[in-house]
This record gives sequence, structure tokens and C-alpha cells, in this order.
Amino acid sequence: MSVNLIIDGKKVTAREGQSILTAAAENGIEIPNLCYDGRVELYGACGLCTVEVEGNPKLLRACSTKVAEGMTVHTVSDRINASRKVALELLLSDHDGDCKAPCSKACPAGTDCQGYVGLIANGEYKEAVKLIKEKLPIPASIGRICPHPCEKKCRRQYVDEPVSIAFLKSFVADKDLEGDTYVPDIEPDTGKSVAVIGGGPAGLTCAYFLRAMGHAVTIFEQMPKMGGMLRYGIPEYRLPKAVLDEEIALIKNMGIEFKNGVKLGKDFTLDSLKAQFDAVVVAVGAWNSSKMRVKGEDLQGVWGGIDFLREVALKNYPSIGKNVAVCGGGNTAMDACRTAVRLGAENVYVIYRRSKDEMPADPQEILESEEEGVVYKYLTNPLEFFGENGKLTGALLQKMRLGEPDESGRRRPEPIEGEVEKISLDSVIMAIGQYPDLTGLEELEATRKNTIAADETRFTTSVEGVFAVGDATNKGADIAIAAIGEAHKAAVIIDRYLNGEKAEYKKPYFVERDDSSIDFSKMPKAPRQKMPQAQPSVRKNSFDEVNFGFSEEQAKKEAMRCLECGCHDYFECKLIAYANDYNVKPVRFSGEKHYRNTEDKSELISRNSDKCILCGLCVRVCDEVMGKTALGLINRGFNTIVEPELNKPLAATDCIMCGQCVALCPTGALREKSALVKSVPVSESRAESICTFCSNLCPVDYRYIGSSVIRALPAGEKGLLCKGGKFGVLAYKDKKSASAEEYIEALSGLEKYSCGSLAVIAGGRVSAETAYVLKKYAEEKNAELLTDADETCAGYYALNKLGFKPVSDSAKEYEAVLLVDSDCGLSAEYKAEFSSLSGRGIALNTPYSENGTYFDKFGNERRQKAFVKPSAPVFYEALNTLLKNKAQDVTAEAVKAVAAQPSGEVTAEDIINCPVSFDF
Amino acid sequence: MKIAVGQGSCGIAAGAQKTYEILENRLDKAQNELCVTGCIGMCYLEPIVDVYDGGQLYRFVRVNETAAEKIADAVNSKDLSAAFEFKISEDDEQFLKKQTRIALRHCGVINPEKIEDYKNSDGYKALSKVLSSMTPEQVIEEIKISGLAGRGGAGFPAWFKWNAARQSEGEKKYLICNADEGDPGAFMDRAVIEGDPHNLIEGMLIGAYAIGASEAVVYVRAEYPLAIRRLKNAIEEARKNGIIGKNIMGSSFSCEMRIKAGAGAFVCGEETALIESLEGSRGMPRLKPPFPAQSGYWHKPSNINNVETFANVSWIILNGGAAFAAMGTENSKGTKVFALTGKIKRGGLVEIPMGKTLRDVIFDIGGGIKNDKEFKAVQMGGPSGGCIPAELLDTVIDYKALSATGAIMGSGGMVVMDSDTCMVEMARFFLDFTAKESCGKCVHCRLGTKRMLEILTRITEGRGSEEDIDLLEELCRTVKDGALCGLGQTAPNPVLTTLKYFRNEYEEHIKEGKCRAHECTALLKYEINPQMCKGCTMCAKKCPVNAISGTVKNPHVIDSGLCIKCGNCKSVCRFGAVEVK
Repeated sequence: MSVNLIIDGKKVTAREGQSILTAAAENGIEIPNLCYDGRVELYGACGLCTVEVEGNPKLLRACSTKVAEGMTVHTVSDRINASRKVALELLLSDHDGDCKAPCSKACPAGTDCQGYVGLIANGEYKEAVKLIKEKLPIPASIGRICPHPCEKKCRRQYVDEPVSIAFLKSFVADKDLEGDTYVPDIEPDTGKSVAVIGGGPAGLTCAYFLRAMGHAVTIFEQMPKMGGMLRYGIPEYRLPKAVLDEEIALIKNMGIEFKNGVKLGKDFTLDSLKAQFDAVVVAVGAWNSSKMRVKGEDLQGVWGGIDFLREVALKNYPSIGKNVAVCGGGNTAMDACRTAVRLGAENVYVIYRRSKDEMPADPQEILESEEEGVVYKYLTNPLEFFGENGKLTGALLQKMRLGEPDESGRRRPEPIEGEVEKISLDSVIMAIGQYPDLTGLEELEATRKNTIAADETRFTTSVEGVFAVGDATNKGADIAIAAIGEAHKAAVIIDRYLNGEKAEYKKPYFVERDDSSIDFSKMPKAPRQKMPQAQPSVRKNSFDEVNFGFSEEQAKKEAMRCLECGCHDYFECKLIAYANDYNVKPVRFSGEKHYRNTEDKSELISRNSDKCILCGLCVRVCDEVMGKTALGLINRGFNTIVEPELNKPLAATDCIMCGQCVALCPTGALREKSALVKSVPVSESRAESICTFCSNLCPVDYRYIGSSVIRALPAGEKGLLCKGGKFGVLAYKDKKSASAEEYIEALSGLEKYSCGSLAVIAGGRVSAETAYVLKKYAEEKNAELLTDADETCAGYYALNKLGFKPVSDSAKEYEAVLLVDSDCGLSAEYKAEFSSLSGRGIALNTPYSENGTYFDKFGNERRQKAFVKPSAPVFYEALNTLLKNKAQDVTAEAVKAVAAQPSGEVTAEDIINCPVSFDF
Repeated sequence: MKIAVGQGSCGIAAGAQKTYEILENRLDKAQNELCVTGCIGMCYLEPIVDVYDGGQLYRFVRVNETAAEKIADAVNSKDLSAAFEFKISEDDEQFLKKQTRIALRHCGVINPEKIEDYKNSDGYKALSKVLSSMTPEQVIEEIKISGLAGRGGAGFPAWFKWNAARQSEGEKKYLICNADEGDPGAFMDRAVIEGDPHNLIEGMLIGAYAIGASEAVVYVRAEYPLAIRRLKNAIEEARKNGIIGKNIMGSSFSCEMRIKAGAGAFVCGEETALIESLEGSRGMPRLKPPFPAQSGYWHKPSNINNVETFANVSWIILNGGAAFAAMGTENSKGTKVFALTGKIKRGGLVEIPMGKTLRDVIFDIGGGIKNDKEFKAVQMGGPSGGCIPAELLDTVIDYKALSATGAIMGSGGMVVMDSDTCMVEMARFFLDFTAKESCGKCVHCRLGTKRMLEILTRITEGRGSEEDIDLLEELCRTVKDGALCGLGQTAPNPVLTTLKYFRNEYEEHIKEGKCRAHECTALLKYEINPQMCKGCTMCAKKCPVNAISGTVKNPHVIDSGLCIKCGNCKSVCRFGAVEVK
């Protein structure tokens, strides 16, 4: 019987007895919920699925309310939203953890530091670059020069030293530039066009993302080359321009038009751009050096910091003489003094009115400049520059002392009356700040600081269709990554604007822990990797890059130091997703909070009660689906908690480690051990497949990134998986699967063999999909299909059904052999058979890929790659790609071909009794 | 003469067992019969001894050891006037005279431990009538005519639930009696079970017959050991008399009955949580629908009613539904039992017909406020209910009328408050109760009540802010809307009603740091009036934290920084010099 009703104005037909929740879901209307799962009994704890039904004054739970003929349901209303919001806020008011790591939150561009550091640890370099480039298109450059606010927040510093996040970034970005470089997918052309004024980090970033979204972008730049301050403000020894060139070329190659040497107000106007383009982004930067308002500032030999650096960058090396003073304590001052050293100055002073502790420059830079001979004159301030015939000859310096702290928290410098010092100088470089040149932008409203007034969340200016980002706006000059962060956010907003929508950037809500609540004392120490560098004596005479970059080994070691602060469930967590959907402000309800701080770590599953929202899914699935009672609820009210039976550790209960609880946990309270070397929260790719560990043919959902399988989750209607299916992937923890491309390359070696001279031999642990595509491949190649699997093997069922013959039945010699997923060691005859095939076979996915004895006999050099399990998703994809008649849906066709028992027939009892066992 | 000693829990607590012992030792047993009875409802007068001289009843109250001796002597000498000093006053007699007793009709009258006593008072006649001459449908029809509503609090028509369970398909059906009386200050059910257990059994058996249940369970809280003992005894007696078990009273109707002692969770008074608990699971409510009538105990059709509901059933069958319906108002029929407690002169059990006013109960029957203080409000329905202020004292006792005030009829708890009660503190007290008793299952209740409690606590401690009231109201609304079961849905009621009627008290706490009832210690300030202080040093000696200084015969001073506001100084001062502000 069907029932007709209206949900959110949409006519819907549902089955009698169905709940509003499922009826809505089947019609594409998602009603939020945290405690519902079709396999367990209704529970109704979360209260998020509430809806309004016309004629009923109450809010009803969609999970338990049955559809009725003629019913009119509203899933969204102010009342419903308010109720959901409060429910989420209440949950979050007693939820402890870090959604994102402090490093990532500290990054003005929000780059996922923990994510790419973790990926580097796993050797997933391409994925790491991809992840970085979701926020930052020029990581090789930025990794070198960024003052890395991320590292200042890195909690590793409380153990020993922060993780070297910035250098890891440039390491992986350099690696990516070496070849097979990552290029983002570009959306189909939208027909919209954007003009970007300024080719610095902000302009390039904005252009990169807008182009990727399919818009036509042109960058207008006054300088001969793109790069802005990165090119004309950062010295070569820190950022080789060749690196910058490469990264900029990648951006240009996306199809962005570069117009260099054109100046706003002279060669074009804002109005002309507005007429030609659908949107204009002003990212002109801050190119004027601030003055010190000191007598003698106009003397010849007194330089503005960035003017000086620009001249050097343009290779118009200025003659600065022997004695040079740099005024200021920031990173521009560092760049100026170290450049002065390299230009041959004998005495280079840094004049700074506070002491070393207050200096904003990166301590590493100070150290390196000292190594290069720079002399620091702390607590001094220029009173006057004097000279002869209009040319600088020296400066009078006022000695200072530190008084009370000012608003910035730094101690205010005060002159010590009467104490002055006179020094002889040939040049002074004033590196105390910079401001924008707004020529040609008079139309835009300016701030009191004479910067462009731009909306901080919409990036709009006073002129419709003109957006502004970076150093030229609001607070003025900041570090490059801040401009990049703004530019990325602005690109998203501009894209919406081009679609005719109004949008604003919304700072995401995160749950965060207080550093002080964490005990770092017991964490093992591991020192930060030292960046290999040129000797001071060498580097002071050269503009060559000072840092040589991490070796791969160093990078991996360094990346392993990450403490993994951010929640591993971030990308899957339903709670945080809803929290942001509903704009929560849980601070309203702050009160007592549980800090249990105890993580129950079993070998395979760990539980963190501080992240538990008591949805009860773990308890229920254990009991109702698996027939086990490993977990239960204890205590009452606010102190309710999920604990294993009798408060024992999970491993001491009747838990069979099927991982159902983990799979259903909507937050990070339950976690499985990751199959990665370094566990890392990332947005995983998924491949629905069939478990290969026994013949039950349970549907499985493999989660992987790049070529690393992270974990396996139960899939299908029943969602059953045993310990083997769930955690078998851990057996291959430190091995990597080849990528699809590598497989294809390896298989190409077999192209010349066919017509009975080729044997495809499948091992006992191929997946149903692999077996299926192998069969198709063999048919295409007219090859023999063999297997060394017997009944004890996992894949036997599928192989047998698909007609793979036992390998021992075949006495024939083959010209070539493709050996897949086999341990090639089952029987003596089998070994003998292969002994005669020397040099003519390719072994894929064998556990002996690195040091197995058989390997040398019938492999070639390609098999040196560690082609091991679980490669199923990648391998069958690769094989399918090679086929003339590709399978549309490998899994579905494979299951059909194998005529598997429908997954419905596997029961919890089968799972509990599954004989598969592993040593993890 | 027949002498009955009231031995409900209240009587025993007041010393009735000692009284009984003295009477037993002293009375001339050849001439007199000594027995126990349940609670008559005048708990404030316990221990109570009733002496029946022929048809005449003499009631003695507050019978302590001396009184018991004198009464025994008077009985032995057949001259009761010798003990008349202990006789109930005429004033106190009004307490019972103004009541109409149906559910409580045998309480404090018959011996609950003897089935014969019950049988002699028309006991089991209704069951006999039902089994011999009525179909289940006729029984349900009679209940429908009576208009009997569920007395547990929700007030749902009893016949409707019975009928739903009757109509539900299924071989096996269950009848459950909810005797998990958990509201603070409520003891109606306990009195019925302790004083008249057979009446409950009879009502349940009639219900079981009506819905077609073959098994009945009484879910009694374990904190009621006497009730459990008497009910157990009564079930045994009934079984021996062929009233429970196979072919009851020779009919084809069979029904088993047993007791399940609950482990003390308030939420188990919620019917689905009760079922979970009965099944041996953690006491957590289930989603409704399905309702127990469709899928209840072991997922079989089940009917759950409260003790008082069942206690009315045999009377209705014997006297007819119409007689029951003749009492009360248009939408509330029959009588209702209330447990009258708090700042009331005569506290105890009151059964009155619906339609009387709160004033009737509190002033006419209850005798007004203790120490003749000012009546401030009455809390109806315990933690799930709300308060009704003095200006609404003429509100009629009727489901609809009470709901209109924001309070509820509830199961019958009626806590009377005077001007010494701080309404914010009262709301905090009830929230503390519900927050602790929340089963922890649903978000709104587990965390909502906790956060509400925190806000209320901060207000009573003088740390509240003006936004707190808005926040409280928002939480009240969403918790009411979003909580899974009755516990959470009604938990905001004490807050909502106090906010409705006593908002100014909240504001005083927040804005002025003042608690007009002087109940919130954090807001109190103890000061010694130098004009009144004689310098006796008594207060300084009694101060546990040495916060009071001064020399003999000179006014003393309290250091407010040290003062812990224990009130010792005020209570020991003979000159009224200690003032609380």
C-alpha cells in the first residue's frame, strides 16, 4: 500500500508503515539525525530529526513518526531549526576535543597542516600537494618564506620543538615540481570573466581558484614578471626565483592570461576593467616604504626597505658602501641586512628600539644573520641622519630602555635622556613598514590608514563588482599567507557573485581543547630535523639559496613527529557538519563539562568518551545486530557514559572486534586503528567492493587516499564484516599498493603475449572484482585462467565460479605468466612450474615483492615495486581501464558473474564464527 | 472493643509499632480485639488508634507511649472517657469529614493483611459480578461511562487504553500496574497498597479481564518495603482463595499476578521505561508510537495504569459508572487523591471530588498555612508540574483548569509553600531532581536539564545575569519540545510557572542580589543591630568560623567576609539583634 503525502511542498509517495525520515530520504530530502540507523531499533535520543506535521501542535521525531495519507510535513521551520540548534549546542557544550589541529587553525589560509604532514609521513606526496593546493597554490614558494604561524601553535613544542611544518610543505611541493606535477581540475568554462589587478600572492591565488572554477581570468601587473613581493621583496637566497617561476607557470598554464608591465591609472583604469569584465579583484599590495619621520631621511644613501630589495631583485644592485644600518626588527629588516651583507657591506647594523625578545622577526633569521656577521644594536633608535653634500655620512642614535607594556603587550621603549651614540654610515635602509599606492583606485572608499576599505567577510569594496584583498586593504601589509587566505576566501565569494548570489565568508565553528588540559610530560621526545644549510662563510657571498631542503628520509621522520591533535573523524563527523549547518554558539550553554581524558585503547579499537554524544548506536548495534553485549550504558543523567561490560577494557569483553560500533559512531568517540603508518584525518576516497578474506562475499567499503588503503568499513544492507574483513587491511600496514598508473605500466609488458601463450594465475585472495576483470582480460587476451587457490582460500568461491582452473591441472608451459594476489608458495609442483618461466612473468600483489626468493626467478624489475594487498580497488580499476569492453560497474557485474550469495544471507552468526584470523 | 492501630509507613515512622506493642501487652485480649490498619490519611496526627465500641468509633491521635498506656487502661476499664485527652479534636475531624473517599475508602478502616476484612467490605464483589455477568466490552463500556481518567498524571481516559489493548491482536497480553510513585512529596499509591492491597488486586483483575490479559505485574518501587510485603501477602491470600490463578472464581478467566520491585529510578514511572526495566534492561523510555497497547511488555499488547486508577475500578463496577461520573466536572469525573504536604497545618491524604477548588483543599481541609503565615503558592504534580500562585487559589480541580494555569493535575502531589519559600530555589530544587533522574538517553533532557539547573543555581547564588532568564526560557521551550519522554517534556514546568508568576523574584535575585524569602544563603547578609545587641557574646561563641567579634556588654560585629551564613548567631541571640538582609 502506498501513502501520499507532502514533504516540504513536494508530493511524495511512501510505503505504508514507513517513517517520515526514510520517506524523506528516499525522495532526496535529508532530515538531520545522529542516532538513526535502519539496522537497529528506533531510539530517538538525538532529537535532531524533529519535524512539524500540519495539524499537530508538537514537534515530532521523523524517525518514529509514520507517514499517513494526506499528511503535510515541514522539515524546516524556525521552530525546528531553533530546536535542532539548541540540541546541537547542548551536545557540543559537553564535547571535548579538537576538530582541527591548532596548526591548521593558526594558518591564515586554513591550510590543513596536520593533513599534509600526515600524508607526507605516509609517503603520499601527491595527495599532500593536492591537499595543500586546496588552499594555497604556491606551496614551494610559501613553504620557504612563510613565518609559519602554524608552528607557533604546534603542540609538539610542549614536548620538545614544533614540527617543521613549513619546510615539510616546501619539501613536498618541490618533489611535486620534479615531475608528474599536480594540476587542479578545471571546471567547464562559465563564460564569466574576472580581472585581477596585481600578480602577487593574493592576485595569483585569486586567479588560480577562480580559473579552477571555470571563469576566464586576466591578471594585470605593473612589474615585468608575476610574483609581487615574493619576487621583488624576498631575496633570492631565501626564495630562488626559479622555484617561483615554476609555480607561476603552473598557474598560467591553467589558462590564465598574464598582462605584465601595465600600470593602473596609466595603461588602464578601473572603469575600463569594470566595462570589460564581470568582476574585478584589486590585489595591488603595499609597495611604498614607510618613512621614519627622522631628520635627514631625504639624504642620498637612505633607502626604503622594499625599494632597496626591489632594486636588488631587478639586479640593479645599488652601491651601498661599507657601513650599512638597517632600521627595524621585522622580516623585511632581516631580508635587507642579509642582502646588504651579500652586496659586500663590511659592517651591517640592525637598529632596533626594543630588545631581542620583542623582535618580531623569525628567530631563525636573526640567528642566521648573526652567523653572517650582522651586528645588532638593540635598544637604539635613530634621532637624526646626517651627511655631507646631500649624501649620508652617519646617524645619531638615541639609547632606549623598556618601560611598561603597551596595548600590543610588548614593553614600550623609552629614550634614556642624554645617552646618544654617533655612528658613521654609508647607507641606511628603513625597514619599518609599507603602505599601498592607491593611484587609480581613488574611486574606492579608503580607510583612515589610507588602505582600501574592503568588507572583511564579503571582500567587497564601495564599488559594485570590485573586490579587494591582501596588503592593500584594511589593516594593510601582512604576511603572504594572510593575503593568500583572503584571496582564496574571496574567490569563493566572487564565484557566488558571478552566479548572481550574495555570500559571505563564515568562520567555521570548531570544538577546541585548551593546551593546558593536555599532559605532554609522558610523550616521547624526538628532536626536530635540522634543515641542511650552506655554511655562513659561503652563503654571505652568494645569493644562492641558503637552505638545501629536507631529504625524503628527513621529511618522513619530521612528519612522524606530528602529535595528531586534530580529530581523526573530522571529515566523517556528523556532529561538526550539523554544527556548522546550524550556526551553533555552544558557549551560551557552557557549564560543567566532562574531561575524562581517558582513552580506552584496545589493540584495534579506541574509545574516547569525551567525544561521545550518547547516540547509543554502538551499544545497540553490538546488541541488536551482532548479538553481543560488549558495550553498555551506565550512570544516569549528565554522567551517563558508554562503557564496556563491567567496566572492563573492550578487549576483555566478548567483543569480536567486528568494528560495527566504529562504523556507526557519528563522531570521533570510536576509532579503528588506521592502516596508515601515520594516522591522519583526511577526506577519504571510497571503493565499494567485496571482502576478499573469505567466501562469505561480504560487501565492504574500502577507504583509501592515493594508493594507501586506510580502513575497511562494513557495507551493504546488513553491513556485516568480521574482524578479518574489518582489520585485515592492517596486515599490510607498512606496505603500499601500486597506483593504477603503475599497474597499467606493469601490465603493458604483457601486451605482446596472447593466444594461449599467456597464463593468468590468480591467488587465493583476489577479490571478486579482480577475479572478474582478470577473466575478462584473459578472454580478451585469449589467455588461460588458472588459480592456485583451494577451499581454504578466501577467493576460492569466486574463482571457482568464474572458471579458474587449478594450476596443478595444467602441465603446459606458458610464454608469459601474470601472477596476481598469490603467495606463490603453495606446492612444490607449483614452484617447479614457475621455475621454468624465468624472466617471462609479472607478479603483482605478492607478499614477497621485496625479498621473496621466487621473485628473482620470474619477475622483472618492475615487480620491485611493493605491489601488495589491499590493492583490490586500485588494481581492478587499472585492469578494467585496460579492457576493450570495460565493465560499467565492476562490483555489480562481478557479484552477478560470481552469482554470489546475496549479502542478505550472511548472518551475524556467520560473522562471529568466521574462521579468518590475522596476526596484526 | 475493637482497637485498630494505623500502621501505614507514616504511622510506623511516628512510632505506631511501639504503640501497638504497648496495647498488645496491656490490653485485656479476652475482651478486646487488637488489629492493624493502613493509613487513614491524617499523617500529621500519627500514630492514630481507632477504638470501636459497638458501632461507635473513638479516634485517638498522636498516641505516644503514655497515651497508649492510658488508652489501654481506658479500654480495659470500659471507660474511654479516661483517655479523651487524646481524642481527635473537632477541628481535625473536619479533615476527613470534608472528603469523599472512593479510592481510599478502605484505607485506615480495614485490616490490609486479612482478605476477610476486605471481603466483608464488599471486597471482590465487583470481580465476581464482572466474571459472572459482564463481557469485557461491557466492562470497558462501564469504565467509559464513569469517565475515569488515568490517575498517574497524564489523565488519559482509562477506557480508551483498555479498549486499545483489547483491540490489539495477540494471544498474550499483559496488564501492568505502575506503582513506581516517584514524585517527591507524593504517597497516594503507597497508602493504597499498604492500606487496601486487595482493592488494587481486584481493580487489576477486572482490567486484565477487560483487555484479555493472562498476566498482571505490579511494578512497585523497592523503597516501599511495607507495601511490597502487604501486597505480596494479599496476592498469596487471593491465590489461596481462588481469586488469582487459573479459573478465577470458577470462571473461565485465568490470570497470574506478580510483583516486580523497581530499583529506584524516577524515570521508570514513565510507562515505556517501566517496561524496559521490567524486561531487565536499563530503565530508558522507548519511542512512542508504538504505544504499549500495540507493543509493550516483551513487545506484546500491554496496558499500564496507575495504582489509584485501579483503586477506583471495583467501586465503579459495583456502583455503576454513572455514579462515578455524577461526581466532578464536565471533563474530570470522580474523585482525586492528593498528598498534601509542605507548609500546611494538616498534611496527609485528601480525596475529594473533582470540581472543588484549591482553596477548599488547602484551607478547608488542610486548615491553612502552618504558623498562619501567608500562602504563597502550591506546587502541583511534583517535578513535572508547576506552581499555582495565591491569586489563583480558586482554581477548580479539573484537568483542563489546572493545565490552563501552567501546572498539571499530576499524580496528586500538592506541596504548599509560604512566604519563606524562594520560588527560584524551588524551581532549582525540582530541576536538580529531574536532572539527576534523567535517564541520560535524549539530548534535551540529559543536557538541557543540566544546563537549566546550572543557570538556576547561578541565579540563586547571585551569579545570574539578565540574559539568563531569556536563556532559561529558550531552554524550557526546546526541552519541552524536544525531550523524548514525559520526564523531560515536563521538567521545565516548575521553571516556566515560577517565571510566569514570580518573575520578579528571578529579577530580584539577578539585579538586586536579593532573595526575599531569605532562602538563598549566598544572597544573605547577617548583621548585628548595635542598638539591640546586649553584648552577651553568645553569638560569638556559637559562630563556627569565628566571624563575630566584640567584647562583653558591647555590640558585636559580624565579618561578612568570614561569615558562612549558617544562621547559628540568629538562632542563639535572645535579643533579636541578628538581622538577615
